[in-house]
Parts: sequence; structure tokens; C-alpha cells
Amino acid sequence: MNTPRNRCANNAPRFRRDPKTMSDGSEQARDDAEIAAVDFQCAVPVTGAEDDDERAEQPRRRRDRPTPSGPVSRRSYRRVTNAFVVLLGLFMMGGIYSLLASASSAQQTARQPDVARGRQLFEISCITCHGANLQGVNSRGPSLIGTGGAATYFQMTTGRMPAAQQGPDQARKPTTFTADEINDIVAFVQSVAGGPEKPTGDLRNDAAMSEGGELFRLNCASCHNFAGKGAPLSAGKIAPGLNDATDLVLYTAMLTGPENMPVFSNNQLTPDQKKAIISYIQSLKSMKDPGGLGLDRIGPVSEGLVIWVVGVGLLMGVILWIGAKS
Amino acid sequence: MPTTDELDGMTAEEAMFAGANQDGVQIVHRRDRFPIPGSKVEKRAEFAVSLAFAISFLAAIGFIIVFIAVPFEFHMPGKGSQTFAIYTPLLGALLGISLLAVGVGAVLWAKWLMPEEEAVQDRHDGASPVEEQMLTSATLISGLEDTGLARRSLLKSSLGLAGLGLGIVPLVALVGGLIKKPGRQLQTTLWTTGVPVVFSNGARVGPGDLQAGGIATVFPGVPGGTTAADSPTLLIRLRPGQVVRPRRGQAGFGWGDYVAFSKICTHAGCPASLYEQQTGRLLCPCHQSQFLVTEDARPVFGPATRALPKLPITVQKTDDGSTYFIAAGPYRESIGPAYWERR
Amino acid sequence: MTATPTAAQFEKPRTVLGKSGKALEDRLGIAGGIRKQLNKVFPDHWSFMMGEIALYSFIVLLLTGTYLSFFFDASMGEVKYEGSYTPLRGVEMSRAYASTLHISFDVRGGLIMRQIHHWAALLFIAAMTIHMFRIFFTGAFRKPRELNWFIGITLLTLGVVEGFAGYSLPDDLLSGTGLRIADAIMLSIPVIGSWVSFLVVGAEFPGTEIVGRLYILHVLLIPALILGLIGAHLALVVKQKHTTFPGPGNTETTVKGERIYPIYAAKAGGFFFLVFGVLAGIGGLAQINPIWLYGPYNAAQVSSGSQPDWYMAFLDGSTRLMPSWETHHLFGHYTIAALFWPTIVLPTVLIALALAYPFIEARLTHDHAPHNLLQRPRDVPVRTSLGAMAITFVMVLFISGGNDVVAKAFDISLNAMTWWGRIAMLFGPPIAYLITYRICLGLQRHDREVLEHGIETGIIKRLPSGEFIEIHQPLGPVDSHGHGLLEYAGAPVPKRMNKLGSVGRAVKGFFRPVVEKAEIQEAIEAAEAEHAERTQPAERPSVGAGIDD
Repeated sequence: MNTPRNRCANNAPRFRRDPKTMSDGSEQARDDAEIAAVDFQCAVPVTGAEDDDERAEQPRRRRDRPTPSGPVSRRSYRRVTNAFVVLLGLFMMGGIYSLLASASSAQQTARQPDVARGRQLFEISCITCHGANLQGVNSRGPSLIGTGGAATYFQMTTGRMPAAQQGPDQARKPTTFTADEINDIVAFVQSVAGGPEKPTGDLRNDAAMSEGGELFRLNCASCHNFAGKGAPLSAGKIAPGLNDATDLVLYTAMLTGPENMPVFSNNQLTPDQKKAIISYIQSLKSMKDPGGLGLDRIGPVSEGLVIWVVGVGLLMGVILWIGAKS
Repeated sequence: MPTTDELDGMTAEEAMFAGANQDGVQIVHRRDRFPIPGSKVEKRAEFAVSLAFAISFLAAIGFIIVFIAVPFEFHMPGKGSQTFAIYTPLLGALLGISLLAVGVGAVLWAKWLMPEEEAVQDRHDGASPVEEQMLTSATLISGLEDTGLARRSLLKSSLGLAGLGLGIVPLVALVGGLIKKPGRQLQTTLWTTGVPVVFSNGARVGPGDLQAGGIATVFPGVPGGTTAADSPTLLIRLRPGQVVRPRRGQAGFGWGDYVAFSKICTHAGCPASLYEQQTGRLLCPCHQSQFLVTEDARPVFGPATRALPKLPITVQKTDDGSTYFIAAGPYRESIGPAYWERR
Repeated sequence: MTATPTAAQFEKPRTVLGKSGKALEDRLGIAGGIRKQLNKVFPDHWSFMMGEIALYSFIVLLLTGTYLSFFFDASMGEVKYEGSYTPLRGVEMSRAYASTLHISFDVRGGLIMRQIHHWAALLFIAAMTIHMFRIFFTGAFRKPRELNWFIGITLLTLGVVEGFAGYSLPDDLLSGTGLRIADAIMLSIPVIGSWVSFLVVGAEFPGTEIVGRLYILHVLLIPALILGLIGAHLALVVKQKHTTFPGPGNTETTVKGERIYPIYAAKAGGFFFLVFGVLAGIGGLAQINPIWLYGPYNAAQVSSGSQPDWYMAFLDGSTRLMPSWETHHLFGHYTIAALFWPTIVLPTVLIALALAYPFIEARLTHDHAPHNLLQRPRDVPVRTSLGAMAITFVMVLFISGGNDVVAKAFDISLNAMTWWGRIAMLFGPPIAYLITYRICLGLQRHDREVLEHGIETGIIKRLPSGEFIEIHQPLGPVDSHGHGLLEYAGAPVPKRMNKLGSVGRAVKGFFRPVVEKAEIQEAIEAAEAEHAERTQPAERPSVGAGIDD
């Protein structure tokens, strides 16, 4: 028997928001949230993957919805509209995401963080590995005491936490929390564990951008590359590229030293210096390439590829053309 | 060779054939591409070639206009005109089109409009006839005999000496001007006992400046310390639980949970600075030598053979009561890549 | 048809051209010599044009390089940058780096010149490389052309050195890291290493002189050498005449093609513009060596993903793959650095092998005869396989030179990439040898088979006995058993029916066959017949059966 839930593609997130914990949800809102949660679990639409015969015997069921029992044509029509709705949804998500990303600082001040709600979310999503008192759970997850809200913010915003599997090397992935939820958890962790706080305000220091560049090349470029492209570390670990990193993510990463990244305390790199580094990185990312296509800014490797594939390739065509009998 | 009278009566093409024959070239196949002059196909071909040249002209004009008229000054986003981002691509595209069009035009001209031709030429190479060789060698031998070098051995050896001497002179002059004695420069750095440990901006480094799992590039706080190529040093504050097993004779080189290693890779001299704070590995980005800090920066992978030299550090209390790191002595080993005299 | 000027006109020329021609001839007497050069026959095969790409890139390099030298300041003196590239304003840097930024951002059109120059350098060496492959695999280096092979290898080596010196000039963080390694390589030379390093650099690295010294090497010494050697290279081609593939008119004693003037000259001249045009296009559309992203050189800084330009990558790769073998305590307390083997010994051996190859082959094959005809790679399986082996070896090193980029792009462990390289470096070449050898034999066998049994026509016939057979078209006379009598002559054997038409005027268009109108076709044939009558009293070299030239 396939229920929608266990038919979900196995790359669905491991945890699920429980609507019952939502303090301000009305009955209707709860229902919607539940549907949303189910939809959310089945992030990959399962209809296409199903066997048609099986579908005929086992009409698709949704918990709160009437079971569709129309003729086949209507089902396929529904399938098309479903796909369309999913597409539209994805499209809108993308639009909303880009809006959020561009206006992240405005969005941060949208709502005051709620410590109580943060605790609730923590107890659902984090407690298994980090323990009820954030003391960590042996062989599951480290203690969070003294790590601070900055670390929590970095780990959750970049999707590293909740972890896909245990271990010190977590890869970036899309986060499953809203910005408000993350802020609530951040506030909760900060209130209990202490440590470096998530910074607020403008995190740029454009006036000192070139000093930031010097500091970037001294402290950061060795792993993250001069153009912020990232690099492999020893034995399969990587230093990620900085392309997707926001100001806050960069700042909290420097401050807390996530994964294998060294910690850069405020005595070593003052907040102004950190902001200067951020200014440099972000200006590099936003800057247009003056010399044409940037070739991913990775330097001689892509240049060598271009001269052999495009340059030599084109000229081989040319000599074949000139040399052809006419 | 045809006589002038014969040549007077020939067309240019016929005379060309005669000339080619003279040069050992047989034109075995020659035919006009368009035997009917002025046919539609010929006109079309001519038009196509001319079109290529015209395109080249237009692109060149475009290049000149863009070169002069488009603002090329660099600006950050939002700080001014962004046309610089299309300036160079436009120039490249227009110049490329202009040059390519001339090239295409010339090749098409040769392929479409010039006569089709196949010529065969005799190679006439290989060695000269034996008579020729004999005459030349006789000339050489006779000349040598005239100089009498074979008989006059004193002359020969003294000339040889002169040649030898003058041959060495430029070598000596060049090397003598360029040579520098390495001395002990490769064995020494600016780090000596009591030299303050400073950040790149010259600020002194104290034990409170790094957090556990932190790393900083530090320099000797002496004039020229931040630019000397052999002095950059990695100051590492270990994570709780990480212990460095010191190498022989170098116990006590660290201070508390701080250790300091040369940043210059012992393999080829790149700054080995990709530090993984949890595993304690240091990776050099040039040739991927990996050093394990917790085993005193011993090389564990890649081409490096020697551990990174370790700088002995200690702290110094200043008058205002704050404590700062100083070097407790120089590096004991040579910094950076190996060389013949390195011990 | 224009008539030749009469002898009287030669005595008293009227036109400006005629007058100046006579003035020159009266003084130099070069009419015969010039005509000989104009009439020189150059064979027509696409693979003979690779060296020209290198030649034309070099001309582009000279043009753009001269322009750049008007602005570049080869000094390591420190300045504070005040130009228009904001993210570096106020940073201390060398004058070399600052002036390169100046060319890139503050000289109108300076950036495209820089970029064309750098792309042309990459193409120059790439073209020399493929040209060398052509020479090698077709046996063009054999007697009497060993000297030109030497000159070619020397040119390739000089080109690599010239390129390295050139990209080190801007004194940026990437090339400075390369120079640091170059200094370590000099240090690694046994006995005299530290003295060599101090002699070249002028002090302990980085000193204040290396950029100025590299500059004079880059703009004067090495280009002069390259120019001289290119002259010698071409002079030898003119003297010895170009090699050709065997075919009608192409024998050990004759060469067939087009005369230099005018057709070949038009094609070659057009080709120069095509090479320049491709370089200009890439130079404007694709960014190269963005030194402003790298930052000025600083011995304490480094970036991950630091690679040299492509032609140096194999040395970086060999260094990365080298195990940690260093000789310590030699004769008491001397050291041979690990760096010595992959960066000094290996390239020396590679160059020495390349230089010696013509003699090695002649010694092993006992072939000391002069050769003007080229060989098809399949006909010399040992040489072809050796070449494939060498290419595989260098390719593994080359990929390992960028193994961090590969590891990052494909999410492979860096250590695994290193081990892959170490293993592939040892086992790849022999495997390549075996595979290439078998392919060569297979191709040879197929050629013989077609010569013996003819081309598959695709026509299936049923015999009275019920058996189905495919009809084969013999390529020439057959014996009583229907077996072809043609010997393999080293020329391509047609394998498909449509190849057989290529002896005549079956012109293939790019997408569709070119068919000329009936009346034109008739006129062509008439003209051809007339022409053949006029120019070909003697026998025309008969076109060998089915040889597709």
C-alpha cells in the first residue's frame, strides 16, 4: 500500500513541521499547514514516477481531500493542471526567493524573534542531536554551549543544519526554514548557550574595500580562491564557493568558523575589518568583467580549455576549409 | 629558354608557362573557373568576395567608432556607467569580424575566382654532384694550407689560447656581475629571540586575540618584517582536545594552546595555509602537500618531505599589563624549499 | 589575354611600375631568382597549415607586444595604486603590477591588446604542439630534415620559456606564486642550486630585480632567438622543399601543388587574417589573466586553484604526482630536493628524447635514406604507438596540473585525484601503446582487404545456389580469382563508393553536392580538353586507380 507520504522521493527532508505546535494557527490554518506539510514532503511530484496500472487500482489519496474518481481523461487533465500548478508554484517560489534575497535586511526586521517559538522549533528539529539543554548528545551532535546565535544562524541559513548525516563536513543545501523561524531558533540558542551574537545592521564597509581585499587574500583566498570560487581541501573535504553567500552568512562564518573553517575572532579581525572583507567579496561578485566572458574566473585552466577547444578547434575548421579541394 | 622574339609573340600566360618550365615546374592542370566570362555564377562569386571585403570595411569603421565613442572607464555597479563591460567585447567582435572577413574574402577569391591549378615541381635536392664536392673541399684544404696552421703549431696553440681567453671573458663578465653569495640568507629569517609577533597591519598579537580553532598569519615585528618572503608564520590556536606531539628537541616551542609554524611550504615555497581546524590538516594549494598540525606539521600526503619549521614562541608582559607574543628564538630549520647545502 | 611586354618595352619602360622594376633589376639582377620563388610549388594538404598558425600567432604577438611595451613599467618599485579599479585603490604594489592595471583600465583599448597578446601566446604554443604532432606522426622529421626538427623542438622550448617570462611580468599574486616555485626549482639543482637562484633573482626571493630581468628576456633576447630560428626553419623548408603524402605527382623527386604566386599566396595571406581574426575575437570576447582579481604579489598570500598557463601545467602535474622522495644526508649533509626530479630532470629528459628521436629511429630501423614522402601513421605502428604513449604520459601530467579544479568541479577527493595521476602516469602509456598498435594494424589490414577484394558496394546479390553475397567493386585490375592486383602504395585507399568519384570534378559542398549547370559543365569540359591539348603534349602523370588525393 502506497500512501502519499511513503511514496515521496527519498530526498525529501527528514523532519516535518508539525502543525499542532503552531501556536497561532486557527483550525483552517492548521489544515492548510498540514496540506502544505504533506506537499512539502513530496517536494518531488510523485505522479510521474508511478506505475500506471498501480494508479488505476490505487487512486491517489490525500488526507483531507475527496478521492478523485473521475474518468481517466479527467485524471490526466488533473495531472496536467497539477504539473502546471507545481510549475507555477516553483516559479513563484523563485520569484519570492529572489525578492527575499535582495531585500534580506529589510525582511530581517519584519518581526521580532520569538524565543518561545524558537524553543519549540528547537525541540522538534534539533534536540535529537544537540540535547534538551544544548549540551550535545554523545556520538550524535556537539554541544552548542558558547557557540552563539551567529553559528546557529550560519548553520541553518545555509541549510547545513539540520544535518543530512552526521559528521563535521556538512554541505550547503537549501534551507527548510523560513527566515523568521531561523531567527526564533537563533534567539533561543543565544538565550541559552551564549557566545557570539548574530550581528545586526549594515555589514558593509565600502570605504575600506581595498583593505578588505588585502585581508581577503591573506586570510581567505588560500581556501576560497581569489575570486571566491572555493577549492577542494584534503581527502574530499571542500572549502565552498562564496557565490551564494550573503553579508550575514559571510560575517557569521568568519566569526564562528563553521566546519573546518578557522575562527576569526573580533580581536584578530575587527568587525570593521570583517565588514571590509565582506565589501570586497560582494563587490567582486557584483562587478562586471571588463574583458568579456569571465570563464568562471578560475584562471588558466578554463583559459587553456578555451584556446584548445575554441581557438584550435576553429582554426582546424579553417585549415580543413582552405585545404579542401575546390 | 625561348628567345626574345618568341617571347614577344606570347601571351603573359604562355610566357609564364615557359618561365615555370625554366624553374623545373610543370603546370599539369590549369583551368579558368569560369570559362564563359561574365556568367551569372561568376558574378555571384565575385559579388560574394566583394561583399566579404565590404563587411570588413564596415566592421573596421564600427571598431573605430566604438573605440573612440564608447566610454570605457571602469566603475563599480551603481557608481557610474557600466559600458566598459561591453567595450572590450565589442572591440574584439568588430576587429574579429573585420579581419575574418578579409581572410574569408581572400581565400574565397583564391578558391572561386583564380584559375584552378596543379603544378609539379622537381625537387632537385639531396647532395651535390661529387665533382662539386671535390672542388669545394679542395678549396677549403688549399686555403688551410695557405694559412699554414697545420705546420705552425706555435701559431695554432697561441691562437687557441686567445680564443679560449676571449671566449671566457663574456661569461665571466656576465656571471661576475650577476653572482651573489647566498651566505646564510637561506638559513636565517627575521625571527630572532624577542622579536614581537605582529599581524599584517603591525598590531601586536596577544594570547586573547585568537579563539580556539583560529589561525592567523603573523610577521616579525621588525622593519621589513611584513614583506620578507621567508618570515610569514602561521599562528594557530588549537581546539580543545587537540594536542601537538612536539618533535625531538623542540618541546616547549608552543605556548599554551598556541603553536606557530612557518607558512612557507617546505616543498616549493608556496604559503601552505589551507587549514582545516577540526582535522588539524594544513594543505598547500600549489602541489597539495598536506601537513598534520597535531603531529607537529609532519607531511602526511603529497610531495613535501619535511615538516614545517616551528617557531618557538612565548609571551611578554608590557608596562600597561597586557601580554603579547614574542619569538623565543629563531627557526631551527631552513625555511621553505630544499637546496643542496640545507642541513 | 594580356600580352607580355615586348623586349623593346623592357629596354625603355614607360609605366612607373616598369621603371622601378628596371631600376631594381639593373642594380640587383634578381629577375630569375624572384621568378623561381614565385613559381615555387607548395603542396596542398590541410595538415600542412598548422605551423602557419604558429607563425601568424607569433606575428600577432610581435604587434601587440610592441604596443604593450609602450605602457608597461618593468619595475618592482613600490607604489600606492590610485587608478580607476576601485577594489585595489590605495593598495601597495609594484610598478609592474600597477602599470598592468593601468593598461587594463586606464588605457583606451589597452585591455583588448593585453588579452589578444595573451591568447596569441597560448595559441602560439598550442599550434607549435599540433604542428609537432603532424611532423612526428607522418615521419617528416626523417633524413634530410633532422635539423629542422631540432629547430622546431628548440622553438617549442623557447616558446614555453618566453610564455612563462611573459605571464610572470605583471607581478600579480598568481604569477608571483609561479615565480616562487621557479625559484624553488632553481634552488633544487644539486651543488649549485642556491648560487643559481641568487644569480638569477639577485637576492633571496623575491628581491627587486627579477621582473626587470624577465622583461629584457621576454621582449628582446628570446624573441630575437625565436625570430632567427623561425627564419632558419622557413629557409630550410624552402631549400629542402615541403614533404608530401604519396600520390599522383607527389613522389620522392617531385612535389605537386599550387605555385606560391598567386593562388597559394592569396590563401596563406587570407589565412593570416583568419588567425588574427580568431585571436581578436577571442581576445575581446573572453577574459584572460584578470590580474585585478588576483591582486598584487605578496609572499604571505596565496590563492587556491593557482595554476600556470596550459603549457606549463604538465610540470605542475609532475610535481604534484611526485612522491615525497628527497635525498637527505648525501655525502654527510647534502640534500637533493624532491623538486629536482619532476621539474629539472623530467623536462630535460623529455626534450633530449625529442631531439634524439630522429636518430634513435634511424638507428633502430637501419633506415638512413633521405625521405621526401610522408608516411601514414597507420603504416608505422611502432612510431605512432610511441607517440600515443608520450601524449598519454604528458596528458596525465597535464590533467594532474589542474587536479584541484577537476576535483572541485566533479566533487572528487583531491587525494584520490593524486593517486589516480600516479597510477595513470605509470600504466596509461603502455596501455595507450598497445591500443594504438592494434588500431594501426587493424587499419592496415582493412586497407589491404579493400585493395584485394574491392569496395563494398552495398549491392546484395543472390547466387543460384541461394547464397547471398555483396558485390565488391575492384579498385584496379584483378587476377583470375577476382583478387585485386594493386599494391598498397602508402596513399589513402578509398573505402566508399562515393570516394571513387573524387578523381574527377566531383566537388562536395559542405551540406550538399555542388552541381554546376549543364551548359557550364560542357564549357568546362571543352575548355579543359583544349587546354590539355595545349599544355600537355607529353604524358600527364596518370592518376593511380582510385587513389584519392
